[in-house]
Amino acid sequence: MIRFLIPLICLVLFFMEPVFGLFSPLNIGGELNYIVPRFLIMFLIFLTLYYDLKHAMFYGLFFGLLYDVFYIDIIGLYSFLYPAICLAAAFVFKRIPRNLLTSTLLTLALLAIFEFVLYQFFLLISLTGMPLGTFLSTRLWPTMVANSIFLVMLGWVFKSVMVTQLSERDNKIGLY
Amino acid sequence: MPQLLTNKRLILLLLGVILLVALISFSLRDRGNVSLPEQIIKDAVGAGQSVFSRPAHFVTGIFDNVDSLLNTFEENQHLKTRLEEFAGVQAEVKDLRSENTELKQIVGKEEDLRDYNPIQATVIARNPDQWEEKIILNRGSNEGVAENMAVMTASGLIGKVTLTTPTTSTVELISTLNPNYRVSAMVVGGAKDVYGLIEGYDAERRELLLKRIDADIELKEGEQVISSGLGGIFPKGILIGTITEITIDEFGLTKLAYVKPAADFSLLDHVIIADRVMPEVDGEDNGVTGDDES
Repeated sequence: MIRFLIPLICLVLFFMEPVFGLFSPLNIGGELNYIVPRFLIMFLIFLTLYYDLKHAMFYGLFFGLLYDVFYIDIIGLYSFLYPAICLAAAFVFKRIPRNLLTSTLLTLALLAIFEFVLYQFFLLISLTGMPLGTFLSTRLWPTMVANSIFLVMLGWVFKSVMVTQLSERDNKIGLY
Repeated sequence: MPQLLTNKRLILLLLGVILLVALISFSLRDRGNVSLPEQIIKDAVGAGQSVFSRPAHFVTGIFDNVDSLLNTFEENQHLKTRLEEFAGVQAEVKDLRSENTELKQIVGKEEDLRDYNPIQATVIARNPDQWEEKIILNRGSNEGVAENMAVMTASGLIGKVTLTTPTTSTVELISTLNPNYRVSAMVVGGAKDVYGLIEGYDAERRELLLKRIDADIELKEGEQVISSGLGGIFPKGILIGTITEITIDEFGLTKLAYVKPAADFSLLDHVIIADRVMPEVDGEDNGVTGDDES
C-alpha cells in the first residue's frame, strides 16, 4: 500500500537530526555534554536486520551523500560509513539469535563503533584535538544515552513497520 | 547461504574505498566555491530543513518564554535599579551621536568602518555531528550574502560565512579550532585602544585567545574586546567579549589575553549577517588579501 513509507521515514529522520542537534551541547553541572542524534543510522541498521541489506545500503549511500554535502563538506565520509555499518550489521546478525533485544543491543554497539571511527577520523585530519578521555565522557556517553532512549521508544515501531512492509512485498511477489 | 564477501563484492568494496579516499582528499582542500551539484543538493536540503526547523524554533521559543517568566521578579528588581542610570546614558548617547554626525559633515566623511547593512537570517540547522563548529542559515547569495561576512547575534560576534549557495549559507563559528581563522580585534576601555588578533579557541576554558598584543601595553581584566574593522572584511565595533585573564604568549614576546565570548553559541536561532558598507578586500579578516596568499 504505502510503497514510500520507508524512504519517507528516512527523510523525516534525516531532517530531525539537526533539529535535535540544535539543543546540544547540554550544560549539566558546568560540564558540556555533546548529544549527537543518530536516528537515521539506527533506522538503517534496523532496516538491514528486518527488511534487506540492499535497500539499507542504498538508502545509506544516498542519505550519507546528502549529509556529507550539506553538513560536513567532506564528501565520502558518511556515504561510506552508513553502508559499511549496515554491512557489518548484516554480518553480525547472522550469528546471533534474532529478537528485538539483541537487535537493539547490536544497534547500540554499532553506533558506539560508528562514533568512535568518526572521532578517529576527525582526530586524523586534526579537526579536533579532543583527548580520548574527554571524548568518552562528554561525547560518547551522553550520545549513547540519548540515542538508546530514542531506540527503546521507537525500536518496536521500526520493526513493525518493516515487518508489515516485508509481508506486503512478499504478497505482491506471490501475485505475479 | 550466500557468502557476504564474494570476489565481485570485494573488488567493488576496494573500488569504493579508493573512490572514497579520492573524494575526501578532494573535498578537504580549501575550496573557494562549491561546485554546481553540491549547490543544488545544498539548496534542496536547505529548503527541506527550514520546514523542519520552524516548529523546533517555535517550541524552543515557548521554553524560553516560560524560563523568562520564572525570573521576572528578580529581573524587574535588577532593571529598576538600572533604569535611572539608563535615562542619563541615553541623553548622553543622543548628544554624542548628533555631535558625531555634525563633525563628520564638517570633515566631509560619509562612510565609516562601523556602517553595515544588516541581513536578518534564521539558523536552519547546526552540523548535527558537532565536530566542526558550523551552522547553516536560510539566506544565501540571492540576498547578498557573500563569503567572509561577519555573523552576529544581538549579544555579539559568533562567526563568519564560509560558503554560500543561492539560498543557504554556511557559517563557521568563532569557537572553531581552525588555525587559519583570525579576526582583527581591539580592546576598548583603557586610555588608548589596543589592537590584536583573535586567533584560536581554548576548548577547555571555552574562551577565545587574543594574540599579538604589544608586551608594553597594560591591559586590565574586564575590558571589552570589539572587532576593529582593520582586517578588511568585518565592520568595526561588533562586540566579541570581555578579557578574563592576561598572560605572556609561548614565545614571551607578546601578550596573550583570554576573552570570554559575549554571545552564547549553544542555542542559536536568529542571527544578523553584517554586510559592510566600506569596500571589502578578498581573503580572511586578518589583513592578508587573497592575492597575497596565493
